[in-house]
Amino acid sequence: MNWRGVWHLGSRYLSRNRWKTALLVSAFTLVWLMPVSVWIVIEEVERHMRARAVDTPLLLGRAGSPLELVFNGVYFTKPDVSTFPLRNLEAVREDRLAEAIPLYARFTTNGYRIVGTELDYFRFRDVAVAEGRQLARLGECVIGSRVARELNVKPGDFLISSPEKLFDLAGVYPLRMTVCGVLAPTGTADDKAVFVDLKTAWIIQGIGHGHDDAAALPDEQRLQAGQESGEENGIVLNASILEYNEITEENIDSFHFHGDLEDNPVTAAIVIPRGEKAQAMLKARLRRSIELQLIQPEHEMAELFATVFGVRRVVTALLAAIGTATLAMGGLVLLLSHRIRSSEFASLKRMGADFMTVRALVLFEAAFAVLASALLAGACLLILRSLAPAAIRWIVG
Amino acid sequence: MIECQDVEFRYPGSPFSLCVPDLRIAEGESVALVGPSGSGKTTLLHLIAGLLLPEWGSVSTAGARFSDMSPAERQRFRIATVGMVPQSFDLLDYLTVEENILLPYRVSRSLLLAEDAGERGRDLADRAGIGSLLGRRPERLSQGERQRVAICRGLVTRPRVVLADEPTGNLDPDNQDRSVSLLLDEATAIGATVLTITHEVELRKRFGKVIDIRDLRGIDRKGAAT
Repeated sequence: MNWRGVWHLGSRYLSRNRWKTALLVSAFTLVWLMPVSVWIVIEEVERHMRARAVDTPLLLGRAGSPLELVFNGVYFTKPDVSTFPLRNLEAVREDRLAEAIPLYARFTTNGYRIVGTELDYFRFRDVAVAEGRQLARLGECVIGSRVARELNVKPGDFLISSPEKLFDLAGVYPLRMTVCGVLAPTGTADDKAVFVDLKTAWIIQGIGHGHDDAAALPDEQRLQAGQESGEENGIVLNASILEYNEITEENIDSFHFHGDLEDNPVTAAIVIPRGEKAQAMLKARLRRSIELQLIQPEHEMAELFATVFGVRRVVTALLAAIGTATLAMGGLVLLLSHRIRSSEFASLKRMGADFMTVRALVLFEAAFAVLASALLAGACLLILRSLAPAAIRWIVG
Repeated sequence: MIECQDVEFRYPGSPFSLCVPDLRIAEGESVALVGPSGSGKTTLLHLIAGLLLPEWGSVSTAGARFSDMSPAERQRFRIATVGMVPQSFDLLDYLTVEENILLPYRVSRSLLLAEDAGERGRDLADRAGIGSLLGRRPERLSQGERQRVAICRGLVTRPRVVLADEPTGNLDPDNQDRSVSLLLDEATAIGATVLTITHEVELRKRFGKVIDIRDLRGIDRKGAAT
């Protein structure tokens, strides 16, 4: 067999039919790439999400869907879970069986979740302030690195919570929060969150509030003043003009909460038991509760991924079926190509090409398509492998 | 140079049979092979080229009997000794004119594509009037140009025997004349024996000898006239 001749003729043929070859190689590449990349991506998502779940020993929440609780308390993605009073958390703390960090992840600002919590949260997650300082007073927020980057916000800037009841003039006004710090990037949900003190979160909800001196308000926020209102010294305020609340040095002392603070709601609490025995006792105690649930996020995510694993197998089977069909189509293309070239092969034989040379020429196109697509798929997979963790962190948070 | 003795051939499952009791063509001779369609001219050419083997008798080309060779030996011998020019040109459309001319060197293990082979191909192309078309692909050539490329390809290895199967069948009279001139002049230059199938009466005059296949055919061993 004349290898150099086969290479020369084969490469010339492929180069001349480059679009057909490119299509064939692309189709074969997808056949190799799709099932493996689906596995890689799902595996990476699973690894990434599990890591944060594993780092969260226990999660306390209102009885209901454990997964919803995990998504609210660990990933801050599920805001509409049932709340429970802070009192339940204090009960856990008082028993000295565990530390508990409250979370109130319900509101948003510019599409990012506002998470009301305590300073212990940052120690627990081992996330430091990279720029600015930590929360110090009501109305302040520290923001995740991605929030800072995407909103181009830095310490000293402001963020306004999204209005909860836009068309309800009697409702709660959004709160203008001062950004006091930006957290270091972690590649987790913390990067996409805006953290406030728990009390600030309650103020956003309207549970806590302040009182402004109406007489000291600027004119544009007053509808009528003085005698114009018909009452002596009376002032009529225009609710539609006031856009947001703001906690300032001047009005901070007027902010207060009616009732017992321990009756105020939280959506979840991270519970860090002081040992296995404490964990067992806590679980046993809360197993009897009809109002609360204490879950291990790791177990809930494992169950979720067991389901995903089943879906992954189905998806892979479907992709394999599509791949087989694509390969069959590719085979058909190669077969037709061989048919079309039969006169060419016959004339090469007449010219003196031996059987193996002609056979090698026939196989050259198929071998090139398979090898080139395998190499391309391999390269794509290497790139995917190296980029997947960062991409998943970016997408999943 | 070319000898057929008591040759009998038939295609499997076909009533056609060819019987050539005696054919001798001397070295350097140019012969036009004529005869009606279906009379076995192409079959005889393929027997002489070693593409087909006779059922009976012997075919000797350039002093070698194909029936004594293995298939691999036959191929090596054919590519080194026999140049073929087909009617349908058989040019590969994904190669340039130059690459098509040098094609025998690409498909054979026994021929070395050295610089002088390249030069020989370019010289041939120049003499055939297609020297300026070496970089073109066959699809951009006229019929006459394609045939000249096929003739150059058949002669590039300096074969001792040139077998042409109606090389002018698809050409107009001007191109017929030009192609035959090229074939005969180059074959004479390298001392090759030429056997060409042609239907063109005018062109027959250009050859040293004209053989009508009907005059060659005899009675086969079963007693049937072929």
